Amino acid sequence: MDGLHDQVQDVFRRVFGDDALVIQEATTADDVPGWDSLMHINLIIAMEKRFGVKFATAEIARLKEEGQNVGILLTVLGSKLSRLKT
Amino acid sequence: MTVGSQGFIVLVAALSVVFPLIPGVRARQIALAAGSLSFLSLFVGNAASWLALAVFIGSGYLVARALQARPRSGLFAAYLVALVGAFVWLKKYDFLAGLLPPVLLAHPLTVVGISYMLFRQIHFVVDSMEQQIEGASPWTYLNYQLNLFALLAGPIQRYNEFRESWDRLEPLPRHWRETAALWIRILFGVMKMWGFGAALLFVYEKCHERLISLARGSGGEGAGIVLILFAGLFVAYPLYMYANFSGYCDVAIGSACLFGLALPENFDRPYLSRNLIEFWTRWHRTLGFWIRDYLFIPLYRFVAGTWPGYAAGLAFLCYFVAFVIAGVWHGTSSNYFVFGLLHGVGTSAAKVWETLVIRRRGRAGFKTYLASRPIRGIAIAGTMAYFALTMFFFADSLDGCFSILHVVGGAINGLGSP
Repeated sequence: MDGLHDQVQDVFRRVFGDDALVIQEATTADDVPGWDSLMHINLIIAMEKRFGVKFATAEIARLKEEGQNVGILLTVLGSKLSRLKT
Repeated sequence: MTVGSQGFIVLVAALSVVFPLIPGVRARQIALAAGSLSFLSLFVGNAASWLALAVFIGSGYLVARALQARPRSGLFAAYLVALVGAFVWLKKYDFLAGLLPPVLLAHPLTVVGISYMLFRQIHFVVDSMEQQIEGASPWTYLNYQLNLFALLAGPIQRYNEFRESWDRLEPLPRHWRETAALWIRILFGVMKMWGFGAALLFVYEKCHERLISLARGSGGEGAGIVLILFAGLFVAYPLYMYANFSGYCDVAIGSACLFGLALPENFDRPYLSRNLIEFWTRWHRTLGFWIRDYLFIPLYRFVAGTWPGYAAGLAFLCYFVAFVIAGVWHGTSSNYFVFGLLHGVGTSAAKVWETLVIRRRGRAGFKTYLASRPIRGIAIAGTMAYFALTMFFFADSLDGCFSILHVVGGAINGLGSP
C-alpha cells in the first residue's frame, strides 16, 4: 500500500501543481486547497491514466461525498488494481 | 388527486395506520405496489398510454441487464438516442412541429411522470453497465420507477438507495415522537403548498394579468406602478416555486417515510447560495446531482481526456451544455430553452469568476475572499436576483415575457423623460 500511496501522492502533486503536497489516509477534500468538483474529476482522470483503471460514474461522485477521504480512494483504487491483475 | 391534496393526505393518514399491521415484507411490498398502480391509473388515460409506459420502462430494464452482462458502448449510445427520442416525441416538444408531419404528433399518449422516469432510467442503465447495480429484479425496478411518492415530481432517487429501504420496508417510525415529527413535516409541507405558495401565486398572477393587459393596450398605469407590478411578479414567482416545490417534497418525503421508504432530501436553503453552481446543490438537489453525474462528469471526462491541454477552458462549455440540456428538460416550449440557456450562462460564469479570483489572489486569497461577509452577502443577493430572472422565463411563454419586458422598458424610458 505504501508504494501505491506514493504513486497516488505523485498524481495529487501533478494535478494540484504543488510539489510539496503531502496526503495521508485521513486527508479529505477540505484539506487540499482547490480540491473542488472539477479538480476531483481531473484527479480521477489522472488516476485512470496513471494506473490504467476505470472509475464508474457513481464512484466518482461517491468519492467526493462528505466523509470520504484519501484512505477510501486508496482502497477503491487498490481493489481495482487487484481485479486488473486477476 | 395529487401529492399534497386533501384526498392524498386523508388516504396517507388512513393507510399509514393499517400498513404496519400487514405481516411480512413481501405482503407490504404488494400493498405498496397496488397503491402505486392505483395512483398511476388516475393519470394514465388510455390503453395505448399504458402500453407506451410499459415499453418505456421495460426497455430500460432489459437494456440495463444486457449491458451489465456485456457492456457495449454502441448499444448504450443507440438506446440512449432512442430513449431520449421517445421522450421528446411522447412529450410533443414544440420544435418537433417543424420536423415531423402533424399526424405523428397527434398521438393520444400521455405518460405522467415520464420526465422523472427518464432520469431514473438513464441512471439505472449507466450504473448497471458500469457494474454499480447488482442483481436488480424486475419487481424492485418496477416499483422503483412507479413509486407513488416520487412518481409525479421526484425526488430523483438512485436505485441502490431505493432498494435498501424497499427490501426492508419497515414502516417508520416506531416511536410516537418520530411519527409526530413526520406529520408536522407533512402538514408544514401542505401549508407551504396551499398557504404560502397559493398566496404567492395569487400575487404573481395578479401582477402578470395587469402587465399583460397593459401590453395589450388596455388602460394605462404610471411608470412607478408598472415597476411595482414587475417587481411583484419578479419576486413572487421564485418564492412561490420554492414554497410549492419544497412543500411538495416535505409531503412526499414525510409520507414515504411513514410507509418505510426513505427518499432523498431535495432542498437545502437554496436562497443562501453564493453562485449558481452552489444553487444547484441546494435547489432540487437530486436533479442537480443527476446533472453533475450523468451530464457534466461524462462530458468533462470526455473533453478533458481527449484535449487535456484545453480542459480548463472546456469545463466552462461543459457547465453550459449540461445546464442548457437540464433547462430544456423542464418543459416543451421555447421559454424553457431560454431558462436553460440562462442557467448555462450563470453556471459557467460562476466558474469563470472563481478562476479569475484564484488567478488574481491565489488559493489563500480565494479563501479570504470566500470568508468575507460583505462579499458573501453580495454574492447571495446576486444569485437570488439572477435565479429570479431565469424564473421569469420559466413562468411564461416567450411572447408573454417579451410583452411584459416591452411594457417595463416603456415605463423605465418614461421615468427618464421630462
